[in-house]
Amino acid sequence: MHVCLLYVDPGSGGYLIQMIIAGILGALFYFKGLWWKIKSFFVKKKPGNTDKENGNI
Amino acid sequence: MATSDYLVHPSSYRDPAGFVFQYQSKYYRQVNKSYSDNYDLLISSGLYKILTEKKSLIAHSEVNEHFPGSNLHYKTLLPQQVPFISYPYEWSFDMLKDAALLTLEINNIAIAHGMILKDATGFNIQFINGKPVFIDTLSFEKYDDSRPWIAYRQFCESFLFPLYLSHYCYSKAQKLLSIYPDGIPLLVTAKLLPYKSRFNLDVWMHVYLQKKAYTSSVQGDERKVVFSKHKMKLLLDSLMNSCKRLKSNEEGVWNNYYEERILSKEYLEQKEKIFNEFLYSLSFKTVIDLGSNEGHFSLIAAKKTAIVISTDSDAGAVNNLYKTIKQTGTSVLPLVVDICNPTPAVGFNNEERNSFVQRAKADLVLALALVHHLSISKNITFAMLAEFLQNMGHALIIEFVPKEDEKVKVLLKNKTDIFDWYTELNFEEQFARYFAIEQKQVIPGTARILYRMSRKS
Repeated sequence: MHVCLLYVDPGSGGYLIQMIIAGILGALFYFKGLWWKIKSFFVKKKPGNTDKENGNI
Repeated sequence: MATSDYLVHPSSYRDPAGFVFQYQSKYYRQVNKSYSDNYDLLISSGLYKILTEKKSLIAHSEVNEHFPGSNLHYKTLLPQQVPFISYPYEWSFDMLKDAALLTLEINNIAIAHGMILKDATGFNIQFINGKPVFIDTLSFEKYDDSRPWIAYRQFCESFLFPLYLSHYCYSKAQKLLSIYPDGIPLLVTAKLLPYKSRFNLDVWMHVYLQKKAYTSSVQGDERKVVFSKHKMKLLLDSLMNSCKRLKSNEEGVWNNYYEERILSKEYLEQKEKIFNEFLYSLSFKTVIDLGSNEGHFSLIAAKKTAIVISTDSDAGAVNNLYKTIKQTGTSVLPLVVDICNPTPAVGFNNEERNSFVQRAKADLVLALALVHHLSISKNITFAMLAEFLQNMGHALIIEFVPKEDEKVKVLLKNKTDIFDWYTELNFEEQFARYFAIEQKQVIPGTARILYRMSRKS
């Protein structure tokens, strides 16, 4: 369907797309957090700080 | 004082919050009554203080000058004056990127102070001593934490899209901003970007998905959109990270000029010695260096407490100079300008943004190792060049590269030599029409000649 873009205000902020983008980013943010939780459950942190972790190689 | 002494800046007509005017060679900004609440909030929230302390926003003082005949007047501001106005289509890649990051950083700080940027154009930024500074004091408005960012699309078209195009296509893509001063349109960007760009999540969201939403026949009522502060943070972080990851697409043709292409180290040392001698006999505060490459001589001139406008057509070389001076805060302004096709005047009535030639006025002009490129490669005669340069500055340091020079031989290699006029004698005769030759010195070990000239009154 042809849409006449001359009547879409080019100066408007693109509010709907901001909603969609924020939705995608929010979902990614959520799954990233979930992934880290799962990862930290299976990968146990080594006790104590080694020299390597401190950057003293 | 006569009303005609006050001139409203030709580009200052869009914002009902106020306007910029010139009076006795200084620029002022009138704040209109309609913006009074926002202006007072800018000051009382501490936002103005924190941004000016960080030198992110131009500082101003409130003065009594009153633009005659305006019944909208609330306050008049005298901002710190910007030494030289430049435009986004003259900046190198990293300059535009830093301007974009500054805009986002300011927006984040503003939100923390209960305000937000209502516009996001590159024309709100100027470069002073190697750093971008936000100059539009009236761009802030009260933040409604249930609303999206009104300047989102403007930010995309003014900053993000030119950066995407420079990253994926061509380092000079931001020159497109001179034909699209309001920003490179979404649909144009989507057509120009290569197919592979859509595999980048940021590009896919901000360009292709936005295009889909923009051209969709299903248009919702945008006034009903509710947008939390958390969503705003996600959006601004995404824009910030996307900008940070971008790099200019190609190396400049003149990159490493001094290391690889210059005749010899000795030539550079000898030239520098004569150049310094010439500088000592001059008094100057502003310099324009034409064909500056990575700015070797611009940096020397800047040491004499001068502001140097350093221009070259090679975006890569200009970008390298910017990276150098942003570390040191040197008073050099690197700009991508082609002398054979300088920045045109743009905007309504061709008056909103002046051409480079209109703005380029200085005490001293440098044209080093440039003449042979303009004359042999571009057929620009000495008479044309002399007339062009005399409009630009009072003093001139110019290098003549004769035909026996190996670089000129390279330029003539695949070209018919139609340049009988390209002689030292003709060079001096043509320049003598506009300039007095004050000093002339052959660079030892070469046939090249450095001249110091002064414009005839």
